Amino acid sequence: MIEIKNITKIYGKKDNTLRALDNVSFTIPNDASVAILGKSGSGKSTLMHVMSSLDKPDSGEVIIDGKNILELKQKEVDKFRSRTMSFIFQSFFIQANESCYDNVSLPLEIADVPTSKRKAKIGAALEAVGLLDRKKSRAHDLSGGQKQRLAVARAIVNNPKILFADEPTGNLDSITGGIVEDLLFDYNKKNGVTLIIVTHDSDIAKRCDIQIHIKDGKIENIEGLKS
Amino acid sequence: MKIRDITIRAGRSLKQAKARTLLTSLAIGVGAFTIVLSLAVGSGGRAYTSNIISSNTNSRAIYTQAIQDFASDPTKPKKYSDTPTMSMGGGQGPSIKLLKQTDIDKITNINGVESVTPIYMFATKYITRIDQEKYIASVETFDSSVKLEYISASEGDIKDGEVIISNNYSEALGFKSAEEAIGQTIQIVVEKGGANTLQPEIKSFDFKIYGVIKQSMLAVNFTDRLQITKNDTKLLYDYNQQGSPTFNTYAGAIVVVSDNADIAVIKSNINEAGYKAQTAEDLMSFIFQFINVLQGILIGFGALAVLTSVFGIINTQYISVLERTQQIGLMKAFGMRNSDVGRLFELEAAWIGLLGGSIGSGMAVIMGTIANPFISKALNIGDVSLIIFDPLSIIAVVIGLVLVSVASGILPARKAAKLNPIEALRTE
Repeated sequence: MIEIKNITKIYGKKDNTLRALDNVSFTIPNDASVAILGKSGSGKSTLMHVMSSLDKPDSGEVIIDGKNILELKQKEVDKFRSRTMSFIFQSFFIQANESCYDNVSLPLEIADVPTSKRKAKIGAALEAVGLLDRKKSRAHDLSGGQKQRLAVARAIVNNPKILFADEPTGNLDSITGGIVEDLLFDYNKKNGVTLIIVTHDSDIAKRCDIQIHIKDGKIENIEGLKS
Repeated sequence: MKIRDITIRAGRSLKQAKARTLLTSLAIGVGAFTIVLSLAVGSGGRAYTSNIISSNTNSRAIYTQAIQDFASDPTKPKKYSDTPTMSMGGGQGPSIKLLKQTDIDKITNINGVESVTPIYMFATKYITRIDQEKYIASVETFDSSVKLEYISASEGDIKDGEVIISNNYSEALGFKSAEEAIGQTIQIVVEKGGANTLQPEIKSFDFKIYGVIKQSMLAVNFTDRLQITKNDTKLLYDYNQQGSPTFNTYAGAIVVVSDNADIAVIKSNINEAGYKAQTAEDLMSFIFQFINVLQGILIGFGALAVLTSVFGIINTQYISVLERTQQIGLMKAFGMRNSDVGRLFELEAAWIGLLGGSIGSGMAVIMGTIANPFISKALNIGDVSLIIFDPLSIIAVVIGLVLVSVASGILPARKAAKLNPIEALRTE
């Protein structure tokens, strides 16, 4: 369960300030798929960064499974993130010159997964996204859709509990985007992973259990959340 | 993240920028090349020199002189001393204090001294052979402990009335080969000391050629001397110097230490007795000093090259950090610790150092090995290596350069470590 309590994030100093997040609070149950919706500049990316402890808010609490991650030391935050969270980005951020295998291997290396266990995990992740036959190819040679699928494989390889996706289909056409979407939602359903998608695409948002609408740093409304 | 994984990733990202990696490491390679080669030349030079010293000098010999008075103020008149002196450049010039026969006896009586041979300083007028030209030559006493490179020699030891000449003189005196010269007679002509300068008296001494040697490795031009026995030297010396004011005084003496005595102890004993004693190594130490200075200069050039490459590495790594901003951001998002990100870039620098150090040292070894025979040939020193590679010092150089590279990588690595992941991952 992820509890967001009174998060406020202010950018800038003195007179020239911007309230990117203004007293935001909500709760996400485990296993849910959540869409954070808003226009660009609405604060939805900042919200994702705060939830994933990449960014520290000026006030408020982020409680994941009963633990306030904002109180953790940097070392512990890194460790926590490497073991429980994963990311997919609009621009893929895969290493074009590395093989698919090495791309997917990165989170395992960061999380200190023993070498002996890596091979099976990487194989399973590539299998899940249908790229097992491209294991040895350079990521550079993949198409856009394949690159994002590779990013999905990298995100799920270490069995995260929370999967953040920042505009995962923003750079893809509707067909390849649809494939990636299906992958994410299937994974969410099958493995009970909390999926948090930051998007302005209402079609993806509709497939999510919960839709959180953000406007000017404030929650406009939340749909689908049973209280 | 484990060091092993970081190291592999560091190596892999270098492989992806092959040209840049290679060029950066070549800069450090130049430094490695220079340093490794200077070390090799230094140790080769030292080995060669000590080889010369051991084959051209007697390691059991101590060169002994009177204590010289160079310290006194040259602008003031010198006090008279009863010690015999030999003036150089007239009365005002420096004078060398000489050893008397009593000094020789005193040194001979020191425990552990086997023999004392005074250095007989005298001039021959010329040497010649029947129907041949006259040549200027100098003569010294044969020392059995000094290894000579005979081209040809008679059986047994050198006897009184026999002479050893170099192949230069052998040719000049009209012998077709060294073998032909053996047993032949040459004349050493000496002027009588104390004679009227207007009517100089000369005497010709006959010597049989005992052996012909290769020109000394140390010889420059025609300084190679004829060698005769101690008795013959005394004979010529007496004829040449009798009646001169410095007769029976010597610029120095060669003290040979008996085999069971410690040369260092005898040396200090002679020093305590009021003389200046120097072993062959003392006399040659200036050569080592020269080699060391030369080597130091060369290493200095290498160090300059390394210094230049330091900036190259810093520059390359800064560019690398900028280029890989998103990669760094992603790694951090996935929970990679800042210190590990820094280490990744430091290890990349280490790889560059290792690569450059290995390339440079490898090139140095290859070039040195190829050049060695040519250098030996050009310097005409025979089958001697002037470039000697010591694997340990090469390893030390490579390790040193890796450390220098890591140090150069610190600043860029810190930049990478401090990079804000959110900024790094911002694509707009």
